[in-house]
Amino acid sequence: MGKSDIPTESLPATQAIQDAGLNRRSFLLRAGALGLSALAFESLLAACNTPNPTPIATATATATATPTPTVPPPRATSTPRPTATPRPSATPTPTPALPAPDLELTRIGHLLRRAGFGASQADYNQFSAMGLSATVDYLLDYESVDNSDLDRRLASVELDLTRLGDLQQWWLLRMVYTKRPLQEKMVLFWHGHLTSSFKRTGQGPFMHTQNELFRAHALDNYDVLVKAVSRDPAMLIWLDSQSNNKRAPNENYSRELMELFTMGLGNYTEVDVRESARAFTGWGLQQRKFTFNTNAHDYDTKQFLGKTGNFDGDDIADIILDHPATADFMCRKLFAFFAYDDPEPEVIAPLTATFKSSGYSIKAVVREILTSPAFYSAKAYRTKIKSPTDLVVGAFHSLALETDGRAMRGMTDIMGQSLFAPPNVSGWEGGEAWINSSTLLQRLNFVNIVATARNQRLQFDPVKLLLLGGISSPEEALDYFAFLLLDGTMPEEERRVLQAYLASLDDRFGTQGADEKLRSLAYLVMASPEYQLA
Amino acid sequence: MLVSRRQFLKSSMLVAPTLAFMPTVFKHAVAAATSESFGVRQTNAPGTLVVVQMAGGNDGLNTLVPYADNRYYDLRGTLALPQGSVLPLDNEVGLHPSMAKLKDLWDEGNLAIVEGVGYPNPSFSHFESMDIWQSADLDGNFKEGWLGRYFEGLQATQSEPFQGMAVGRELPLALRSSKVPVPTVQSVARYQLAGDPRFPDATQDRAQAVLNLFAASPPGAPYSVLLDNTMDAAYRSSVALQNAHAAYQPGAVYPETPLAEALKLLAEAITNDLGVKVGHVSIGGFDTHAAQPDDHAALLTETSEAMAAFYEDLKAHGRDGDVVIMTWSEFGRRVTSNASDGTDHGTAGPMFFLGTPIKGGLYGGRPGLSELGDGNLRFTTDFRSVYATVFEQILGVPSEAMLGTRYEPLPLLGL
Repeated sequence: MGKSDIPTESLPATQAIQDAGLNRRSFLLRAGALGLSALAFESLLAACNTPNPTPIATATATATATPTPTVPPPRATSTPRPTATPRPSATPTPTPALPAPDLELTRIGHLLRRAGFGASQADYNQFSAMGLSATVDYLLDYESVDNSDLDRRLASVELDLTRLGDLQQWWLLRMVYTKRPLQEKMVLFWHGHLTSSFKRTGQGPFMHTQNELFRAHALDNYDVLVKAVSRDPAMLIWLDSQSNNKRAPNENYSRELMELFTMGLGNYTEVDVRESARAFTGWGLQQRKFTFNTNAHDYDTKQFLGKTGNFDGDDIADIILDHPATADFMCRKLFAFFAYDDPEPEVIAPLTATFKSSGYSIKAVVREILTSPAFYSAKAYRTKIKSPTDLVVGAFHSLALETDGRAMRGMTDIMGQSLFAPPNVSGWEGGEAWINSSTLLQRLNFVNIVATARNQRLQFDPVKLLLLGGISSPEEALDYFAFLLLDGTMPEEERRVLQAYLASLDDRFGTQGADEKLRSLAYLVMASPEYQLA
Repeated sequence: MLVSRRQFLKSSMLVAPTLAFMPTVFKHAVAAATSESFGVRQTNAPGTLVVVQMAGGNDGLNTLVPYADNRYYDLRGTLALPQGSVLPLDNEVGLHPSMAKLKDLWDEGNLAIVEGVGYPNPSFSHFESMDIWQSADLDGNFKEGWLGRYFEGLQATQSEPFQGMAVGRELPLALRSSKVPVPTVQSVARYQLAGDPRFPDATQDRAQAVLNLFAASPPGAPYSVLLDNTMDAAYRSSVALQNAHAAYQPGAVYPETPLAEALKLLAEAITNDLGVKVGHVSIGGFDTHAAQPDDHAALLTETSEAMAAFYEDLKAHGRDGDVVIMTWSEFGRRVTSNASDGTDHGTAGPMFFLGTPIKGGLYGGRPGLSELGDGNLRFTTDFRSVYATVFEQILGVPSEAMLGTRYEPLPLLGL
């Protein structure tokens, strides 16, 4: 596989935004490199404790008097929209409100949100030095990335991976602290695609074993993964393969293999379901391991998808993989996972060609997605609703929080994503279905827990974070949080709400409110509608 | 004159940014007002529907058992329920032995069962069949649920946050619409916006800032309308539900099961007049491909006991005349069992209706066990006829506009 080739043509955006953004980001990167200094610390606290902070428009002039870096130029503002007009009703496909990310740093942020779990200041420093193209390679060729820090960290936490809560904590910790974010993101993809559930397997090693199977084959060829998961104990239990007997075949695995795992509805008949079930008879479990029970297997001739033969499960997998519907179904699902829903035929066609010519290589398809113009288009940029896992892991990762992960258990559950216990065999519906009144309250209450974390198990120290970012005033703090958490895309109307709230805190706390002010700021930025999007 | 939520917030912020000024009409209402609305519903209709989804495909044949039919015993083999164990409703059919509580309500004349409910060219996929049932559309064109369309048609002035209420993690497709956010509650304790525990006095101001933030998001931004409307509904309904929860006294002893807890939550909202017209709860696990006897018995026990407790609670609050409970499942099971003591995906099944306004009895028609189609039951009653009954007799609104065509209702309420 060749090195990644990222399209470089500039996508539409105004020159003003580009100039402002370039300066702004180069400033933030420079600032980040300066690190902690005692003088900066003093001036930040002093600035935060000043009631009625300087209006953002005049901040540049005042900031030059301090030894800290200059404040970034005011962001380009759009013309305020008339606010009296009622909105049109929601449209199924969101219209992009933002231009395509044409700055390399913004593209890196976009890439890390979709192919990983967001970016910290350290990530921005590392990957902006590498450049976008090398970052894509780094993500894809993860075998060469040293992940021993993660192993050490996990070894230091006492966990029993046969228990659901411990297993969730273990995986969430992996996602937050891994140096191989794409590998973990793919494990999340496979878990939502080739589903199984703790609810059915019960306490035991099965869900952990399956999770490691997905990790080992995260970007492998798909026929390898399909054949492996057909023998996976959790799957054998989840879809009743273990009791599939030639006397009266159980269709559960056979049906979902075609409907959900490979081809999609409409590409096979009920007869194909029954014939394929016969081919998988005898694939079962013994002593918690895969076994082939010859007495239960149907050795007679089967007719499947227009072919006739004495097929077994592997033959069925080969026939399915060879079917054009599988390439189309899988490439669409992968593209939708990384970029946007309902991709155009011309976007999918090259992916299916790659899928076939590469011997069903998931890595080749993902590489093509992550280097495609469509992936960096306005249609893809900040247009997906974050899954609860993206939200939770992303917040911890972006803010570089230190935790043993105990506080993370169950957090995604109450937002509608119980890891290791998907709602049904089709996984999580995603998209708009992530948002309802209950899950939205839980999302906001989660970012509140993060923003107000003042204890040892989970500690958020806004002052330390801002000093790492070279920030020395509340106005800059707003800018910095918006940069780190929102790519700097917070709308002007929302900035005004935040500024008004900060001003009200001055009345409440007087000169003692620095900590609370910064926590409120972090909370509101993460509570914003924009932060709900990836 | 109607104002948008955005406009209202702008003006209220200038005066006094307090929650007492939160709008009672939000912006989707403007759109709804210009579309068709129903006018006043028929006063003799109960007005409230509670939906119990039996997810996974309930085995109808072992729920309403044709215990006098030898073919049932021939086809079902070891999974067939012995004649002596079935709770007979008449000389031909009886309930699964785990449904004693519903049998009592049958004896009181408050339980109706519609037999053989399904649709032409049935899908054997859980997901496709659930979509068909929930959208009332065989072609998959509707993006709204069949009850979501009902919410959209309600008059714009009816802006209680709880016109619909789903208990669970997800808002089911049946209640979804692009204009009306339906509160989805999983736990009362968590259904509120938390503040900084160190500064509880600031919690309300902070909540107001959040609402302002959502209202300020540019309307064209992705999912902006969904997020803003949901935030608004979430906040207002959370305040209302916390108050209702504090005031509620259960009038029945509920079993300690997830379904009973969910129905209890609906009872809190209904008996405290939060305006619920459609409530939705769900119980999963009916996909009994293997080890069916124990699993199915436990599920039917939970369903039957929870429904009976809920009904008793409504009665104790004097609200049983306003509410009808309906069950559904995406399909029944294959008539012949498989070798794993289970059944694979099938077709038509029975639906239950419970309530004081219900005229008890059997409706629809019984699918014959000697005229199977490819090993499956042939449906006798289109589910959209049942929905027409719900619209016209329970919710008291015309059904044609909701269903796209005329389906003949069943006389479930003796109307």
